[in-house]
Amino acid sequence: MSSAASGSGHGLGIWVEAIRNDRRATVGAIILVLFALVAAFGPLLAGDPQALVGMPLQAPSWHHLLGTTGQGQDVLAQLIVGTRVSLLVGFSVGLAVVFIGALVGVTAGFYGGRIDGLLSLLFNVFLVIPGLPLAIVIAAYLPSGPLTVALVLIVTGWAWNARVLRAQTLSLRQRDFVAAAIVTGESDIRIIWSEILPTMTSLLLSQLIGSTLYAIGAQVGLEFLGLGDVSAVTWGTNLYWAQNDSALLTGAWWTFAPTGICVALVGFALSMLNSGFDEISNPRLQLERAWRAHLERLGQRATRSTPVVRNHG
Amino acid sequence: MRFLLRRLGFYLVAAWVALTLNFFLPRLIPGDPATALFARFRGKLAPEAMQALRETFGLSNAPLWKQYLTYLSHALRGDFGISVAYFPSPVVKVIGSGLVWTVFLAGSAVLISFVLGTLLGIAAAWWRRGWADSVLPPLLVFIGSLPYFWLAMVALYILGFTLRWFPLGHAYADDLTPAWTWEFIADVVHHAALPVGSVVIATMGGWLLSMRNTMITVMGSDFVNLARAKGLAPDRVVLRYAARNALLPSVTSLGMALGFVLGGSLLTEVVFSYPGQGYLLVQAVRTQDYPLMQGIFLVITLAVLGANWLVDVVVLWLDPRIRDSAS
Amino acid sequence: MRPCSFRAGLVILAASIALCGCTSRRVSLPRDVVVVSVEQQASWVRNFNPLTTATAPRWPTLAGIYEPLFVFNGITGKTIPWLATGSEWREGGRVLRLSTRSGVKWSDGRDFTASDVAFTFGLLKKFPALDRRAVWSFLDRVDVVSDSVVDFRFQRVFIPGADEVGAQQIVPQHTWKDVKDPITFANENPVATGPFTEIRTFQNQVYEVGRNPNYWQKGKPMIAALRFPAYPSNDRANMAMVFDEADWAGNFVPAIDRVYVSRAPKNHGYWFPPVGSMVFLYANTKRAPFDDPRVRKALSMAIDRDLLLDVALFHYSRAADATGLSDSYSPWRDSTAIAEGYWVKHDLVRASAMLDSAGFRKGPDGKRLLKNGTPWKYDVFVVSGWSDWVRAAQVIVRGLRELGIDANVRTYDFSAWFQRVQEGDFDLSLGWSFDGPTPYTFYRWLMSSSTVKPKGQASMGNWQRYGSDAADGALTAFERSSDPAEQKRLVSQMQHVFVAQAPAIPLYPGPSWAEYNMGRFDGFPSAKDPYADASPNKYDRGEVLLVLTNLRPKAGAR
Repeated sequence: MSSAASGSGHGLGIWVEAIRNDRRATVGAIILVLFALVAAFGPLLAGDPQALVGMPLQAPSWHHLLGTTGQGQDVLAQLIVGTRVSLLVGFSVGLAVVFIGALVGVTAGFYGGRIDGLLSLLFNVFLVIPGLPLAIVIAAYLPSGPLTVALVLIVTGWAWNARVLRAQTLSLRQRDFVAAAIVTGESDIRIIWSEILPTMTSLLLSQLIGSTLYAIGAQVGLEFLGLGDVSAVTWGTNLYWAQNDSALLTGAWWTFAPTGICVALVGFALSMLNSGFDEISNPRLQLERAWRAHLERLGQRATRSTPVVRNHG
Repeated sequence: MRFLLRRLGFYLVAAWVALTLNFFLPRLIPGDPATALFARFRGKLAPEAMQALRETFGLSNAPLWKQYLTYLSHALRGDFGISVAYFPSPVVKVIGSGLVWTVFLAGSAVLISFVLGTLLGIAAAWWRRGWADSVLPPLLVFIGSLPYFWLAMVALYILGFTLRWFPLGHAYADDLTPAWTWEFIADVVHHAALPVGSVVIATMGGWLLSMRNTMITVMGSDFVNLARAKGLAPDRVVLRYAARNALLPSVTSLGMALGFVLGGSLLTEVVFSYPGQGYLLVQAVRTQDYPLMQGIFLVITLAVLGANWLVDVVVLWLDPRIRDSAS
Repeated sequence: MRPCSFRAGLVILAASIALCGCTSRRVSLPRDVVVVSVEQQASWVRNFNPLTTATAPRWPTLAGIYEPLFVFNGITGKTIPWLATGSEWREGGRVLRLSTRSGVKWSDGRDFTASDVAFTFGLLKKFPALDRRAVWSFLDRVDVVSDSVVDFRFQRVFIPGADEVGAQQIVPQHTWKDVKDPITFANENPVATGPFTEIRTFQNQVYEVGRNPNYWQKGKPMIAALRFPAYPSNDRANMAMVFDEADWAGNFVPAIDRVYVSRAPKNHGYWFPPVGSMVFLYANTKRAPFDDPRVRKALSMAIDRDLLLDVALFHYSRAADATGLSDSYSPWRDSTAIAEGYWVKHDLVRASAMLDSAGFRKGPDGKRLLKNGTPWKYDVFVVSGWSDWVRAAQVIVRGLRELGIDANVRTYDFSAWFQRVQEGDFDLSLGWSFDGPTPYTFYRWLMSSSTVKPKGQASMGNWQRYGSDAADGALTAFERSSDPAEQKRLVSQMQHVFVAQAPAIPLYPGPSWAEYNMGRFDGFPSAKDPYADASPNKYDRGEVLLVLTNLRPKAGAR
């Protein structure tokens, strides 16, 4: 893969442009912005999500748009307030995971040799140890809370990024501009910071999106099992309480349906955004698209140009 | 052969890491199993009886390295200690039967999802930019973003609880004895339909996209063009040439996916009260049965490592090039 | 593979998935086998050890397999001779002489004798971990007098000890004498005296216990076997009841009339008599301001118990009266004490006035202030996941806020919560009561000075750490009295002390949960036929044996 970003300039502009040009990315971005707004301002309007507002398990009505929980709380208020913590944990875990992955992966790829061997072994081991069971076991020992959930997700989630970034760094290290920088005697940190990392912006961004996606899903799963702080209001604990209060038995679909759909919407938005970005960060796909468009204008069926073997690691 | 041995060595290291993690985790955090027992009795037990019980559990005061060595040798013999919640049953006995169901659930879910997703991926690539190609991927991405267990809850609610098409839980009907009879097998399939189905639907999108994208790439490659130029029938080109080669990356990630799905299916088991490891693990966590919890974690890890090794064998068989690069 | 065959493959796959859905088969239940849903577990582990306290053995161990000397009926308040036929105090209450029932056989055909009783108590002495009721804290020795008479010598006069002795399940000497470690012994094939002793099948998803061929009550049991599917959660067990897959359960069911009864009003029944453990709001009496009885009473009056029952419990119980006694103590209740207990009525005005007069005035911002001027700010502790408690706590907090108290619900997971209340590290917390056949145990754990442990030391009960001299007098006298009239007088005295002092704030008596399906079996207790508690959870003192020996297949049922 070549360094698309380094060639075509930096800055926010290109990403905004990319989002606007790709329909999927636009949809994803709009959904995400909506959720971000809800997370930021929703709790101010929603009131206390823990407050007892009426009889438990009331079906949706004008009074309670999404009904009440088995605890007699307003489902809508819980959904809105839960958005904030869930997204916050999701994005911060995503950031942390990419950061650690970059640290380990770039170090391994850049220095090679024994360091590489050791770090590679480490992340490969973490990759094959099943994440969720490990997360459950760790979370069971720690005091419950969003911090524990975040920590556990970071521990179990960083390895994939490290692996991908190592491979990328390894290939970049062979490139002329890196070799040149090494020859001119620049410090390692400087080379990594100003030569290698910038060329990986799009990859890092796509990893951030993927990691956030993972973090939100896994967080909801852990909390659903009751491993989060069940007295906090998050999407996962909402589902935990729905299950705990016999949502199925009492037919109270409104206590679990909206939360699941919100989780899915955020996940969907992130996936759409990512596939939109894929087009711009992957120059060959871009080329292919242009070529296809060209051919279509000529009224011909497109044939594929040089292949892009997707790196499945 | 050497490639397989090297992988085996790697999995052994991974297993050792898991074992070591397992040993140090509980020792880093204070707590003692007898307190957990207290919880189970809701205070019905006299303090005197409690004290005696604590002694029965015999918490070791040996130096850490000694404990570690004992632990390792016990683990090698398959002795993971005694379950707290199912006292006095050994952890291995408690885990025993559940593992089969988890492996069955996760294994069949992964395989079905892999086969279906890959076939659909081929289809999407074949009828590229047809309706299937434009509708299926985003739809499956959306469904794939739903938490597994949530899909499972909805499926259970609609298809099980409301419509009563499927049983509400368990791996087979209570009045059947496990045996290799048609009746039993059919019943197991019937019971597995919803849990497996919900995992399959949630994970299929990934396989579809991966297959579709690789297919499209491979179909543009020279040897496929050559095959086409030779005038071979298009479907033959797609299936024999393109699909076969595009399969490799998917198969490679099969092992990883197994570990991932296994995690997800733990949650699904909870929803369907499927008698596998997932439910046991969650119960162990809730009752603070640490020995059982750790035993399950280890067993699951070992199962995943084993599966990964099997996948390596398959990859080797599919792609002879690895043999060369490995040696 | 050609595309058409490829497409055909997809169709076949889809069709086979769809087919799975259409072949639903219903579980066919044997005619005279009662399906019981108790113990929520993912899979069964074979353990029928009636003595072990380390883990719960399978339910029938104490409910059908092994039997106690006496059965206590919590509905009628009567003690029924079971393996013993009678008891007698000798030597001024120092010796309890029991006569054992003759003609009782163990399920392997051997005779049950007094030496089995002495042997069982010997095991408890040798292995203190088995002594669940701490009988050896008051017993001195157990002597076999004859094949059918056994003497329990007490260390001191302790009349309530007879209840603890009587509740002990008895194991056969001839099979247990060779057991090396009775604590870890799984006892996979029990030999016992109960109505159901034969383990007919044992799989991890289901097991079945068949009737004892040598049962001592002739013609009983009238059902062939008990069957136990493993339902891992309350929800799953309730669904099994709803869909007629199980006949008998003892779970909390939300909105039961709608969820369960309405699906088959003729067959689906339930009975939730308020005879369970009392749910209290405990206030830590070692901490100001809760050391003041006026404060505790004012808190109590701030609670709208009717709302609480609606919100927390679907009104399955009644509001507590100020004696704190549940319906299982009906014969002991003193109506004059109940009448004095004004402080369980919801009355915010009076509560506020009472706090004012106790010197806790409201500040200008409406916040209730301590005498040193700091505002009241307290957390009500509950166990997370116990949703009835959490909801109850929310109603309580709402009431306390109206008194100007900054009260909040604080949830902890069980062990954290348990440690805090046991060590006295809390201000306000919900909690249960400690019950026995008489109110003696109940009040002892609420207000006996002997149960007050210093702060920081774990205490099994009396978490609020309240001791009263007046109560001590009545409790000690009760320990030494075997005269029913005197006992009743002493219990009245305890009730008056409790009502005057409010050591804890009673909320509602926990209902005893029982749901049953009358489609195939007759003989479940109900409000109309209250011969015993219908709940399968009442095995601790053998009450469930009354139900098990009374169930019969319905004539003409499928």
